[in-house]
Amino acid sequence: MGEMINGIDVEKLRELLKQAGENREFVSKINKWSARVRWLGSGFNFRSYVRNHSFLISEPSELGGPDSSPNAVEYVISALGACYATGFILNATKRGVRVRNLEIALEGEIDNILVFLGLSSEGHPGYKRIYAKAYVDAEADERTIKEIWEETVRTSPVGNTLTRSVEVIPEVKVVR
Amino acid sequence: MSKLPLFPVTVVGSWPRPRWLLEALRLKREGKISQEEFDSIADEAVLLAVKYQEDAGVEILSDGEQRRDNFYSFVADKIRGIELKTVAEIVDLVPDKSRFETVLRSLDVPAFSIRNPVVTSRLEVGARGIARDEASFLKNHTRALIKIPLPGPYLLTRSSWVPGISDKHYRSREELGYEYAKILRDEIIALRDLGVFFVQLDEPVLSEVVYGPDQSQQTFMCAALFSRRNPREELEFAVELINETVKGVSGIKVGIHVCRGNWSRREDALLKGDYVPLMPYLAETKVEQLVLEFATPRAGDVEALRDYIGDKELGFGVVNPRTDEVEKPSEIVARVEKILRFMDPGKIYLNPDCGFGTFAEAPVNTPKTAFNKLRSMRIAAEELRRIYGER
Repeated sequence: MGEMINGIDVEKLRELLKQAGENREFVSKINKWSARVRWLGSGFNFRSYVRNHSFLISEPSELGGPDSSPNAVEYVISALGACYATGFILNATKRGVRVRNLEIALEGEIDNILVFLGLSSEGHPGYKRIYAKAYVDAEADERTIKEIWEETVRTSPVGNTLTRSVEVIPEVKVVR
Repeated sequence: MSKLPLFPVTVVGSWPRPRWLLEALRLKREGKISQEEFDSIADEAVLLAVKYQEDAGVEILSDGEQRRDNFYSFVADKIRGIELKTVAEIVDLVPDKSRFETVLRSLDVPAFSIRNPVVTSRLEVGARGIARDEASFLKNHTRALIKIPLPGPYLLTRSSWVPGISDKHYRSREELGYEYAKILRDEIIALRDLGVFFVQLDEPVLSEVVYGPDQSQQTFMCAALFSRRNPREELEFAVELINETVKGVSGIKVGIHVCRGNWSRREDALLKGDYVPLMPYLAETKVEQLVLEFATPRAGDVEALRDYIGDKELGFGVVNPRTDEVEKPSEIVARVEKILRFMDPGKIYLNPDCGFGTFAEAPVNTPKTAFNKLRSMRIAAEELRRIYGER
């Protein structure tokens, strides 16, 4: 095992980055992601299947759900936070910075939730603003930490998905 | 005790720590310096805190809680069986996680930065006692009377009982509470034997108990870990533990300090509400003195005490520890005169509302301003003595 920083084998990380820079097949594999979300047959209960994992999605009780898990919009901000956290650890490790603690607090503000509920046509039911604040305790000066954070935000896949308004191609197929 | 004049000037406990002490606290926490190395640095900080208090004219002084990271978690260093765990480490065990998130947001802190003492095995006090080391050093370096603040039994129980961890070692929160009461009683007796004049049991979470869940964003971190129970039952439990702690103790003054938290300069970040709902319970405690805050409107009117103070002494909060503005002696005199409408002058001590640095990393004032506030209190005390005579 090579040098470990933040629990990551630095040598293996270098190899991975080298492969990503040279191997088109590998790049095409990590360029596409998929998920399948299935209604569980009753109420606001859903399960998402991704690779060999699955997780629940529901709604809080005030929106008529069983409150058995986060809802879809909470997963969106969680995904953004997880993406920032992943990027931060990646970028810190690349620079040899040991991170002692990292936490990202997120808060999203929906433009107009009444559109989702069919009670208004003003505005839209998506997030209009998401606050993401990183709390970092790392063995580096403040400037370095800020540089790592800026790099993380600039290169975040989920962050870019949200800020560049991805083209979504919806389709429905009726099955009997 | 006869040597004390009327309106003795005292403190609630903490004093702003110097930067070099904060660095030493961090190094000790990270295990990079030994207890002995830390103590030799902290000794110097205590001497500074003592000097400031003596020069300001404080008559019953503390060591500024310089050796402590805050008013309660330091017990993890003193009592085996208590470990400091970050909120991030225990949040999965917290039933009401969303309330917790609200608290973190209001404080603008990450879960990894808040450390809470958690009972992780049976408790046993170490050789230095909870504050015996502090008292011994202080006794050698001041001729003034000494006050030692200790976290109260209810505060300790409420903050360190984490179901899923603590219940493997104590059958119930109540059993743990009684264990704390016994430990604190032994400590108070040991402190008395060392020559300590006054032990103050800090129970700031009592105000959190009464000023409900709708204000949870303004709560004390330690008490926020688990859902609130019925306030009446909690207050009765607190009184029971306090009385168990002081049972049979004599020869030392014991008081309890109850405030609304004074850890932030932002008035809106702190709890507010008067002492009215608390007084029937505080009146039931068998302590000699209630150390209460009254320097800001959020603590309500002194009239809350009229029917309940009985023959207890009052440690009267007359200056706000969190402001730059120094209260004039005349303002302090006026505040005291208001309470003299129903209290005997011989029962009133003057103190700030709270400490000047409840949390080591977040002092609410500079030593200079803190000194000036204490000085102003002493001048006010002299004026009051001129009016009301010597004891």
